[in-house]
Amino acid sequence: MDGEICRLEKDDFLAFVDNLINGFETIGVKEKRGRFVFSHLESAAELRLDHDVTILPPKKNFLPPYEKMIKFNVGEQKGELLGDNTKRVIIGVHPYDIVALKQMDMVYMEGRPDELYKQRRENTIIIGSDILRVNDFSFASSLGTHVVEDGFDLMLTDLGKKVIIEIGSERGREILMDYARNIKEASDQDIKDVENHRKALPDRYKVKLDIEKDQIPFLLMDVFEHPLWEEESKKCLQCGSCTLVCPTCYCYDIRDEISLTLEDGERIRTWDSCLLPDFTKIASGEIFRKDKSERYRHRFYRKGLYIPMRYNFIACVGCGRCIMACIPKIADPAKVFNTLSRRKHESKGKLVYKMIEGVEADSRILPEPAVIRRIEPLTENEKLFEIELLSRDSFHFEPGQFVEVSVFGVGEAPISISSPPSGDNRFELVIRKVGNLTNRMHSMKEGEKLGIRGPLGKGFRVEDLEGKDLLFVAGGIGIVPLRSLIKHVLSKDNRPRFGKIYILYGARTPKDMLFMDEMEKWKEVDDVEIRLSVDTCPEGMKWNHSVGVVTTLFNEIEIQNPKETVSLVVGPPVMYKFVIKCLEDAGIKDTNIFVSLERRMKCGLGRCGHCQINGIYVCREGPVFRYSDIKNLPEVFQ
Amino acid sequence: MKPRVAFFDFAGCEGCQLQIANMEDEILKLIEIVDIVSFREISDVHSDDYDIAFVEGSISRPMDEERLKDIREHADILVALGSCACLGGINKMRNRFNEDELIESVYGDKELVSNPFFNIHRAKSVDEVVKVDYYIPGCPIDRDEFERFVISISSGKKPELPNYPVCVECKKRENPCLFDEGKLCLGPITLAGCNAICPSRGSPCIGCRGILEKPATECIKEIFQRYNIDYNELKDKWNMFNFGDKIWRKE
Repeated sequence: MDGEICRLEKDDFLAFVDNLINGFETIGVKEKRGRFVFSHLESAAELRLDHDVTILPPKKNFLPPYEKMIKFNVGEQKGELLGDNTKRVIIGVHPYDIVALKQMDMVYMEGRPDELYKQRRENTIIIGSDILRVNDFSFASSLGTHVVEDGFDLMLTDLGKKVIIEIGSERGREILMDYARNIKEASDQDIKDVENHRKALPDRYKVKLDIEKDQIPFLLMDVFEHPLWEEESKKCLQCGSCTLVCPTCYCYDIRDEISLTLEDGERIRTWDSCLLPDFTKIASGEIFRKDKSERYRHRFYRKGLYIPMRYNFIACVGCGRCIMACIPKIADPAKVFNTLSRRKHESKGKLVYKMIEGVEADSRILPEPAVIRRIEPLTENEKLFEIELLSRDSFHFEPGQFVEVSVFGVGEAPISISSPPSGDNRFELVIRKVGNLTNRMHSMKEGEKLGIRGPLGKGFRVEDLEGKDLLFVAGGIGIVPLRSLIKHVLSKDNRPRFGKIYILYGARTPKDMLFMDEMEKWKEVDDVEIRLSVDTCPEGMKWNHSVGVVTTLFNEIEIQNPKETVSLVVGPPVMYKFVIKCLEDAGIKDTNIFVSLERRMKCGLGRCGHCQINGIYVCREGPVFRYSDIKNLPEVFQ
Repeated sequence: MKPRVAFFDFAGCEGCQLQIANMEDEILKLIEIVDIVSFREISDVHSDDYDIAFVEGSISRPMDEERLKDIREHADILVALGSCACLGGINKMRNRFNEDELIESVYGDKELVSNPFFNIHRAKSVDEVVKVDYYIPGCPIDRDEFERFVISISSGKKPELPNYPVCVECKKRENPCLFDEGKLCLGPITLAGCNAICPSRGSPCIGCRGILEKPATECIKEIFQRYNIDYNELKDKWNMFNFGDKIWRKE
């Protein structure tokens, strides 16, 4: 105990709580049908400090299960960021929950903070409480989270007749001085009593981790293909409860809700769970991590490997909530880690995992106003939109980056930028009609308003490509993000900075081919070779190029200098394996292959969790990846 | 152009339509965005010219099948409204008996064979007879969900049912788990969308919105033992709304 320590007699403590209730929105631990919850306190008499654990962690006060983010008007496409600046006090937060909050702060406040989380967090005073009753399922002591040294404004130890209070912050001192009476300095005996209480805690835990917590990431790297994942997930009801009650889980879904007048509404976010089958579902209907054993495994890897690698903490505080909430009793991290450690030898394969450098995106929640300047129909299902940002004069991005396109009332969708960087505030998007937002886009007209967030993600680093021969391989709509880079390198100013250029492009049928007119112009540029193919050419359609999948085009070119050739590959998930094989056969190094991947980039900021490939956020470390960085990730080319 | 909507009822208690009739304040807003051209519970107006047909009740007679097929032909979009329509619901409980037995146990030995109103077959969900475009399950339906549905359709979004169980909503409402109280709750296997209305009031879920996924039997036995719940209770509860075992999630 480092901070200043005070003592209140029990009556004075209760008066202190009642005073807080008069001064703040005060949340405290209360009983609910035999369990405990953090809930609005009406009087100090309701407060329980003898709780084992609450059903939901105090996270709900900072990232609510259902949160209105933006209030909007559909017709005008105008939105306004909502927020909550209520001054709050939360009483009774156990040390493990304080540790979890500190972890949430790293995710939501470091770098470019989440505006809504930050506002709530800064307006909330945390009054912690030492654990008096140990939850039967908790293993906090194994993780060292049964006590905590900081992260609170005040820390209470209820010793019956007296309550010992450690001051953890200036804010904490102020509310204690302002709202409590008869504050006494804690005696040596008081301090000793608290220390003894804390020292005795570890022995009271029934559940223990058999391995050191720092060993968890290493253990997990060894057991990726362990039979336990299948054995246990067979019993999984896929109810998501383990993640929903978790103090360190922070994934959310975003959707627009409109009122019955269809005129106004709110963009909301609500807790989501990676255990639920649709978690990764993209607009075209594709689902990643399809098998429930993969989803079951993913949760443990997030807790024990992916988040630790990203933020340097084990994303489990041992509170035991998941164990209590899981009806088939398979969610227990201690049991799973202990079993894996005991049965490590049964694993049939490892996971080689390392972090990839990502970008820190602008994390504003409110989209910037933009307008559709031009619409050009390309095929039956694709249209090109020229967008102008109204809020700025210039829009800087790298080829390969994406934006979140927002239409209030419909939602947001991640769309690759298809035009080269121009320096002004206009850019082009090519949009295929697949989901709600893209369907709406297709019915919109020039001059209509929408919103843009971005640019987001990591694009192609043009400077890495200078002096090299470039081999573009596009499958289907994969030509869209590549067009941004192709047009950039083919521009008069930039062309001399690159060597020979090959473009291989395949689509389903001739009528699905995009930018055929532009290809004609690209061909005219010095030292550019273009080869085109279609999977099939229906009778009656004109086609003067190859027929077959895109890989057949490799036979039509000769890569002159494979060691100095960089390949840029974008296409449907199924394409990559085959194209990469061709590239490797041609002698192109895997460090010289770049791919762009598609996942459900919902927030675009590395928080909502939907676009994860193993522990990699496609929206933050991608969508453009160096192949050598991701080739060992099992979830990449599913 | 406002979509023209019509409501139809088959074998059921009409409680789902009542939910809509009871929308009170909202119903005025509702008629601003849709034209109600047929809704027996609130108006005697009827037109056969409609875009969206909401069909309530299960289908239990040959004459109902004919009427339903006729509705399907008129409607661009046909929506099954409520558990009876979506699943067959409570009416399906009678499918374990034969029709003569049923008539006799309800109406005694009166001669009803010649009366076409009593010409029944096994109870069917609407989609056992015609193609259903959308489902709004529940006994009764949840008004908010109905509202969301109408909003989606009217604003050009595809209405979607959640693809997760009631537990998700129940956890978000921070309810103590009813299994911990030794009660059998069908929440873990029942389609969400009701905002866990029953468990939030301490009543176990009885699966009125339909079974999302068949749970693995080995784990069910284990669970029941642990929570000291009688396995037969599951069959009874399951059969109340889900006789016929329609499963929502097709993986």
